[in-house]
Amino acid sequence: MKEKLKTFIFSELIYHEDPASFGDDADLLEAGLDSLGIMRLIMFTEKAFGVTLPDTEIEPDNVHSLNALEQWIKASGQQQ
Amino acid sequence: MLLQPFLQQCRRRPEAVALVENDRYLSYGDLLARAQSVATGLQGLGVQPGRPVAVHLDRGIDAVIALFGVLLAGACYVPLDLKNPKPRLASIIDDARVHAIVGLGAAPAWLAANLWLDIAACAEDSLKPVETSADTLAAILYTSGSTGQARGVALSHGAIASFARWAADLLALQNNDRIAASAPFFFDLSTFDLYAVLGAGASLHFIPASLNLAPARLSAWLQHHAINGWYTVPSLLAFLAYKGNLAQTPLESLRFLIFAGEVFPAPALINLATCLPRTALYNFFGPTETNVCCYWPVERERLSADDNIPIGLPAANYELHTHDETGELWARGPGLASGYWNQGRLQPFLNEAGWYPTGDRVTLANGEYRFHGRLGRMLKCSGYRVEPAEIEAVVNAMTGVIDCAVVGIDDPAAGQRPALALVLESQTPLAEIRSALIRQLPSYMQPVRCIVLEQLPRLPNGKLDYRQVRALLETQP
Repeated sequence: MKEKLKTFIFSELIYHEDPASFGDDADLLEAGLDSLGIMRLIMFTEKAFGVTLPDTEIEPDNVHSLNALEQWIKASGQQQ
Repeated sequence: MLLQPFLQQCRRRPEAVALVENDRYLSYGDLLARAQSVATGLQGLGVQPGRPVAVHLDRGIDAVIALFGVLLAGACYVPLDLKNPKPRLASIIDDARVHAIVGLGAAPAWLAANLWLDIAACAEDSLKPVETSADTLAAILYTSGSTGQARGVALSHGAIASFARWAADLLALQNNDRIAASAPFFFDLSTFDLYAVLGAGASLHFIPASLNLAPARLSAWLQHHAINGWYTVPSLLAFLAYKGNLAQTPLESLRFLIFAGEVFPAPALINLATCLPRTALYNFFGPTETNVCCYWPVERERLSADDNIPIGLPAANYELHTHDETGELWARGPGLASGYWNQGRLQPFLNEAGWYPTGDRVTLANGEYRFHGRLGRMLKCSGYRVEPAEIEAVVNAMTGVIDCAVVGIDDPAAGQRPALALVLESQTPLAEIRSALIRQLPSYMQPVRCIVLEQLPRLPNGKLDYRQVRALLETQP
């Protein structure tokens, strides 16, 4: 899941010269992920992983790193 | 002159709340007293009327104190975007030829300490009266420039006041209104908050920056503070309405929402309009040089998902016309900027008859204008205006770069993102170019894609083939 997210983020949302070196806990918001990027990331995630991410949970804490994203998506999947 | 309506409010209702930021608030009377002490401090530094003064503070109560202090001293403010890398900030400070820099606390090490004025250290109020006229410069707002550097748009007291009066009338602002503010002061949107809202005696509530990425908490905040109006950018409103969260938040107090700065994609606007059936929506339009020259009060029944929304009718006493050959929008009116600020001097940009060619391609049908993109290469990225030539100039100045081209690729959510095609000397690693860019340009100017080519595609006449460059970047996996 993390790899899929990473590929999408670094090919569509933010540029990074070496995505492979971007750690799972590195700060995506600092790297340039903004509100538009988050919207597109959520659309992608819901389609790719068949989950629904509730709007009340769209929070910096849930999107600030690849690990945070994965945890959020997995938790949302279990509730459905 | 520009502050006259605000000063009247200070005399009438000094106890009324002017500014609210988290749990801090400031009354009209206290805001005036603090601003006068800053103005006194600037006079103490020898700042003369009409001279530029940089403001090194983020959006909030302290920044308003500083901006109003600069105006009360008769000087002209240059708000800095503190998210910019230092070299870009330094070049703006240098280009503006500022006579002082207003901030809070000690001066950052990279700034000239003799120019620094700490607003917390300004206690004395012995302001000597200064005269300002409608033509006196009030603000210089730096945007991306096509010459390869940030470019200052110089706005007079009269130009900003003309827009503020018109907007206050249009929205029927009252002294009991509670208006949300999110625009940074280096954006022209902020002139509504500062002069229309505070000129009407209403209160301005700063949206905490931490809510910009949390739409549910942002709508709860608007509800909790019983906000009556807000002027912001489409991307933030689209994010707020995304997934329909607003539909569960009544927002009964919200009388109006204004948006400007980029095209609001129709599907996202329909989403917003559905969530807020009783809120009046307004599309404001115009480059920084005109502030707002055109506006459309959104007619919900006319919104259609596959049709661009109109930009409507002339605003703020502007005269508009469409250039016959190019379809370019020309504007003439009291809200026009005085010109560009270049190395400490004003360069007027108007032609003899006072028209400003906006660079926007429009059509006029049934008395209503529609926007069809830019004639030049300017991009809109996350609400910021970005000149590809400014990025190209920075890249071309790097060692190891032979040639480069920057184009915009559409962001499916809203606006565009810059993308970069490069020709490099064989030993130059792309990563080096990339990290140099991060050191020199703000994040919204960072290319979202990069490709290295043997050579850039050119047209038969030798000019760069930007269409081909764009196609290469768009198809890049």
